[in-house]
Amino acid sequence: MKADDVAQQVVPDGEVYDGRRRFLQRFGLGIGGIALSEMLTRDSAAALVDRGVLGSPHFAPKAKRIISLFMSGGPSQLDLLDYKPLLKERHGQQLPESVRGGQRLTGMSGNQASIPMVGSPFRFKQHGPAGAWFSDKLPFTAGIADKICVVNSMYTEAINHGPGVTLLQTGTQIAGRPSFGAWLSYGLGQENANLPSFVVLVTNGKGGQPLGAHLWGSGFLRSQYQGVLFRAADDPVLYLRNPGGLGAEGRRMLLDRLQELHEHQLETTPDAEIQSRIDNYEMAYRMQTSIPEVTDLSQESPHVLESYGPDVGKPGTFAANCLLARRLAQRGVRFIQLYPQDWDHHGDVPGRIPALCTETDQPAAALVKDLEQHGLLDDTLVVWGGEFGRTNYCQGKISDKFGRDHHPRCFSIWLAGGGVKPGSQYGASCEFGYNIAENGMHVHDLHATLLHLLGIDHEQLTYKFQGRRYRLTDVHGNIVREILA
Amino acid sequence: MNRPLLFCSIFSGFLLGAASAQAVEPLLFNRDIRPILSDKCFACHGNDPNKRTADMRLDVRESAITARGIVPGRPDESEALTRMMSDDPDVQMPPPGSKLSRLSPHEIAIIRQWIAEGAAYQDHWSFVPLQPIRPNHDRAPTEIDAFVWKGLATRGLVPQPEADKSTLLRRVSFDLTGLPPSPAEAQAFLADNSPDAYGRVVDRLLQSVGFGERMAVDWLDIARYADSYGFQVDRDRDVSLWRDWVIKAFNTNLPFDQFVHWQLAGDLLPNPTDEQIVATAFNRLHQQESEGGSVEEEYRVEYVCDRVQTFSTAFLGLTFECARCHDHKYDPLTQRDYYQLFAMFQNIDESGLYSYAPPTIPTPTLSIVDVPTKARIELLQRKTKDLEMRWHTSKEESHEAFSHWLNDRPTEIKIDNELARYGFETIEGNKLANDVAADKPAVLGGDAKFVAGIAGQAIEFTGDDGLILPLGKFARHEPFSVSLWLKTPRELERAVVLHCTRGWTDSGSQGYELLIIDGHLRWSLNHFWPGNAISIEASQPLPVAEWTHVVVSSDGSSRADGLRLTVNGRPAEVSVLKDHLTKQITGEGGDQLTIGQRSRDRGFPGGQVDELRVFGRALSPLESLATFHGEAATRLLQLPSEQLTPADRAMLFEHFVTTVDEDQRQQLTAISAARVEQNQLMDSVRELMVMRELPQPKQAFVLRRGEYNGRGEEVFSSVPAAFLPLPDNAPSNRLGLAQWLTDRKHPLTARVTVNRLWQGLFGVGLVKTAEDFGSQGTPPLYPELLDWLALRFIDSGWDTKAILRTIVMSHTYRQRSVADAEIMADDPENLWLARGPRFRLSAEMIRDNALLSAGLLHPQVGGAPVFPYEMSESFKPTSPSSGSGLYRRSIYTHWRRTGPPPALVAFDAPRRAVCTARRERTDSPLQPLILLNGIQYVEAARVLGESLYVEAKGDVTAMIERGFVQCLSRKPDTREFEILKRLYNEQCDYFTEHASEANALLHVGATAHQSSVPIPHAAAACVLAQSLLNHDESVVKR
Repeated sequence: MKADDVAQQVVPDGEVYDGRRRFLQRFGLGIGGIALSEMLTRDSAAALVDRGVLGSPHFAPKAKRIISLFMSGGPSQLDLLDYKPLLKERHGQQLPESVRGGQRLTGMSGNQASIPMVGSPFRFKQHGPAGAWFSDKLPFTAGIADKICVVNSMYTEAINHGPGVTLLQTGTQIAGRPSFGAWLSYGLGQENANLPSFVVLVTNGKGGQPLGAHLWGSGFLRSQYQGVLFRAADDPVLYLRNPGGLGAEGRRMLLDRLQELHEHQLETTPDAEIQSRIDNYEMAYRMQTSIPEVTDLSQESPHVLESYGPDVGKPGTFAANCLLARRLAQRGVRFIQLYPQDWDHHGDVPGRIPALCTETDQPAAALVKDLEQHGLLDDTLVVWGGEFGRTNYCQGKISDKFGRDHHPRCFSIWLAGGGVKPGSQYGASCEFGYNIAENGMHVHDLHATLLHLLGIDHEQLTYKFQGRRYRLTDVHGNIVREILA
Repeated sequence: MNRPLLFCSIFSGFLLGAASAQAVEPLLFNRDIRPILSDKCFACHGNDPNKRTADMRLDVRESAITARGIVPGRPDESEALTRMMSDDPDVQMPPPGSKLSRLSPHEIAIIRQWIAEGAAYQDHWSFVPLQPIRPNHDRAPTEIDAFVWKGLATRGLVPQPEADKSTLLRRVSFDLTGLPPSPAEAQAFLADNSPDAYGRVVDRLLQSVGFGERMAVDWLDIARYADSYGFQVDRDRDVSLWRDWVIKAFNTNLPFDQFVHWQLAGDLLPNPTDEQIVATAFNRLHQQESEGGSVEEEYRVEYVCDRVQTFSTAFLGLTFECARCHDHKYDPLTQRDYYQLFAMFQNIDESGLYSYAPPTIPTPTLSIVDVPTKARIELLQRKTKDLEMRWHTSKEESHEAFSHWLNDRPTEIKIDNELARYGFETIEGNKLANDVAADKPAVLGGDAKFVAGIAGQAIEFTGDDGLILPLGKFARHEPFSVSLWLKTPRELERAVVLHCTRGWTDSGSQGYELLIIDGHLRWSLNHFWPGNAISIEASQPLPVAEWTHVVVSSDGSSRADGLRLTVNGRPAEVSVLKDHLTKQITGEGGDQLTIGQRSRDRGFPGGQVDELRVFGRALSPLESLATFHGEAATRLLQLPSEQLTPADRAMLFEHFVTTVDEDQRQQLTAISAARVEQNQLMDSVRELMVMRELPQPKQAFVLRRGEYNGRGEEVFSSVPAAFLPLPDNAPSNRLGLAQWLTDRKHPLTARVTVNRLWQGLFGVGLVKTAEDFGSQGTPPLYPELLDWLALRFIDSGWDTKAILRTIVMSHTYRQRSVADAEIMADDPENLWLARGPRFRLSAEMIRDNALLSAGLLHPQVGGAPVFPYEMSESFKPTSPSSGSGLYRRSIYTHWRRTGPPPALVAFDAPRRAVCTARRERTDSPLQPLILLNGIQYVEAARVLGESLYVEAKGDVTAMIERGFVQCLSRKPDTREFEILKRLYNEQCDYFTEHASEANALLHVGATAHQSSVPIPHAAAACVLAQSLLNHDESVVKR
């Protein structure tokens, strides 16, 4: 079933417009009362199926939605996707000054007197038509090598998590601007009136670097565009459930009377905001059904559940969130942001990478395949990656539990579906895995490219705030056409 | 439906409106032309020389004419216009690649007409002096109404009649106190038919404590107030004192110019009071960082920039932050102007990173003490000082005893209280023997080389591995010394020779440390570097590749003159870097003296150390000499008295009084005891981050692209002179800046301020873009009214309450908020003011309303932030407070930036990461979920329902009526009675059938269910109250 079909099922055609039509008719304006309907749309945008500020994309989109698997903390590209045999050869030797150049290091290792290079303890093999390298800790991802595009030449300016994650999510290093998902909701609106268009899923109970609500905030855009955090709790959304076990029947009676009060008020007070309030109460009531429905994984077939791995039964795990992401995508949610955490391996790369790969490798690959099986991969973009990479030298003393510090100059991500060239790779780092050798792709370039795939000209999705037109890519961003299918 | 099209049509509707007014009034540059040129042209033909193309400026008339962009009177010869009209992509403006849409035919027509009329320019409306205009208000009730009615007349509109009394009372009560009227207040007002009834209500509201709480909310948004630091780590911080000061300032009606002076520059006022200094915390409320590995200077620059941005948004209504990276494209602000302001806001002794652990308050700080504590501190200080004085005096009287000792002095020196001595000769595993305390060996934390030392072997450090001693934690009152031989391989820019701290910027360098900075030894004791520390630095560089003997000591006085640095047996010439240590240096962790390495800092790579000794005393100069060269000290002791030079005698005398003379030693013990007492008291004192101007300004530079390491040309503090020069006699610092701001000739401050007050009442300012009065902002529809209010505000002595009273007394404020559908549709934001204000209440008001209606609101003003129920649902969950903390006004809710109160945020409360001059107002389905299901609201409904039931003795009609008055400040009409009766009866039946649901519902929240109310009735009454608290009139001000 395609996303549109599911959305149709959940929202009976025209239902959400009913209240609005009633209101227009009541005041004798009909649908032709253009200015009034403009006012209505503005006042009650969330209650209607919002088509966004663009109305429709700038050009035919390849992708309709994004699932972002954000590996928070910055996974080590050198131990996962960017194979550097030279580091193994020179394991323990000092990183040549010529390679390091004037690079700004973090205060973590920047003052180290000794910076010995460390090779990956894992074995690498080539997979897929483009011969991309995968560490043996990513067997499932290697198994979808023919469906994904590996980019080994990402770079950023940020050297720390706060600014790094913020740049990736909002296009700037300092918190306060709208996040990618918020821009998308603002631009394209909602596909499904019963679900938020931007949903955030944080892996439960993980340590690692803290995340903040600004990462899915709407910045200066209206707050309706901010991401809605679905929690792996009884209430996936704040106060979704009726209090004290109150049944739906009792609540419905309250809502019916409340609606009568509001309609009575509307008769004497010609204020569109009242209609908007009525619509919102109805929408909230529907969300009380639609959200538990979408978050209930028990309807999935055993073989689907199995494909996501053993954790899928535990709510809030990355596996369960990946499956939930597919269900949300299926129902037309535009931006689904997953936050698996704990990739900040300043110590014990050899021990911690395998542990975290066990949790994340299979579900991520299963998600791509599952989307494909549901016919959703063609118009769903999946992006895997963190805020930066890790150094080719060890942080602190070299040992068999060595760690790697933050590294902004090159790191790896992969993309799948939604118009990205499957089974390809793009860009390369130097033989030391320290600098970009070819085809660097900045975070702004990634944003520009993703927006392009969604049918949006990144220079034209703007919002005028405090006298300036802002956009996700600020004054930067080049579309990387080489990775487009 | 195609939104852009709709937008165009409504937009042109407005323009047509404006055009029809043109028949009466000629085109005005500021109103009609500047918005078009600014939006389409100024980015490339405006103020920023770096972006200017074709050497054409359209923002300055002379330039536009010289370049023939505009030929006054001849539209067809004006290149600007012909290009705007051209279809040739090579000629067309804005150019097709610019992503700016083309001018509409209507805009082109306006430009054409304007050029034909002579292309008159005006200075930007908000930059010209305030225009004193006396409106003729013979026919309008107040001056405000005279301006508005005149405007309405040009649009063919008439004002609405005055709102009915209950609506008006509810409106003005929320606006001035953030709370609804009580039923008694409503009743009294309805019964009072005297002509000044409303005026007296206004006066009562302005005098209520709630006034300050309501006004403070908006100011907290401006000041980006939060109870946590923000950014990545986002620890809690204690700044509620500042919030309480704001509430008090509004309640006592502190004149607004003073309000500004105190906050910007309270510390610079003559003999400032603590309160005036507390106010300066305004400048420190920006986000702060503590993430490990961050670059300190990068964040320091970020903080200063935030101060500049907040200052300019709050007071100038300008987007100055654009000029951080380049000259402003639209407004007359240069990058140089920006960094001249930056220079003003950076002169404090601060660090760009706050301490991760221990949780020290970032400097500079103010000690917050009550009067008795202050007296006690002064008493203890005096006591210590008296003892010190007595010691100095008795020292002078000890010469006789000294002479006796001199003649009978020992011939060998023995240094007491030596805690450790390491020669690095005996190694077992990684342990190095301690020659004076065998149970306390030093431990090598990793690799090190053993090399030939000054005596036997020495250690050469890698820089990444330290030598850790199982001792060395000295409190600041404890005298101690460390002596060692060291050799530096080269002139080091930075090295940690030894330290007893938990870390560098991660811990504010709390503890003590001997560093090499640019080749010089630096010896410091720190509570929080740099603002709470004592530090001295050697004037001579440390010799390179030479064994050098160093003794560092502290005498326990917490003063820089109590620090000593002895190099090769001689007191080193030093300069004092810091001399302000008021709190302990021994917080949690970092208890071991470590040599040659510190986490995330540069250690002492290639540095060699030998003969390390630690003493629990401040060594006398003679003892220091002895640790350098034992024989030299012995020789002095053995030299006949008559052969001693005056310098020798002085050294021996100092030794005698500090270490030998029993009376003197007892006095030192007493001094130390007094210091302990004083220090303990100081350590318990609360502190607040404030501004404290450094005596010497820091150097300031233009930063290329705004980056911390892109230092360009040096600049000095100054105000943006494009608006107004600095007043005579005003200093060129924050105080001068504050005086400049409130100079009555300043075109912006009063306009920006009254506009924000207007916005607080009407939902939208007279200038819609409250944060931008520049060229890209929205010009006011009533500029004369704005100027009149601004001047009135200044003339009243910046009297905030008076100007608010003036506004709420106007008919424009008091009129009905609902007009007929066409008028409302034509002007949904009510910019023309053809009706009264109507908008959804703020997040805080909605919650406070529910609490007050239920009788749950706890009236305590001020104090530490509290954690209502919603905090357990925050992204960073915290357990809720118990007791009254659940029911305080929302302004007291704990504000954590990475996990702000979720129910307030759902109603558009900002996260307070940056200065916010205007909140968004949205409606979303997440809001009903909170009002229907949130614990706070369900409990409020439950408590309200039960009290209605009890008061009405179960009579449904009476319950409904009371509930309506309580929640909506009016009585229900027949239909409403009918609906609610049905609701109540239905719910009663429902809960009779579903007893367990009723029971569960009655246990939501901490307040106990009143057992006198039968369960199904209590539950039905709860739902009845829910219907009232969810009623549109409960959440919308009308």
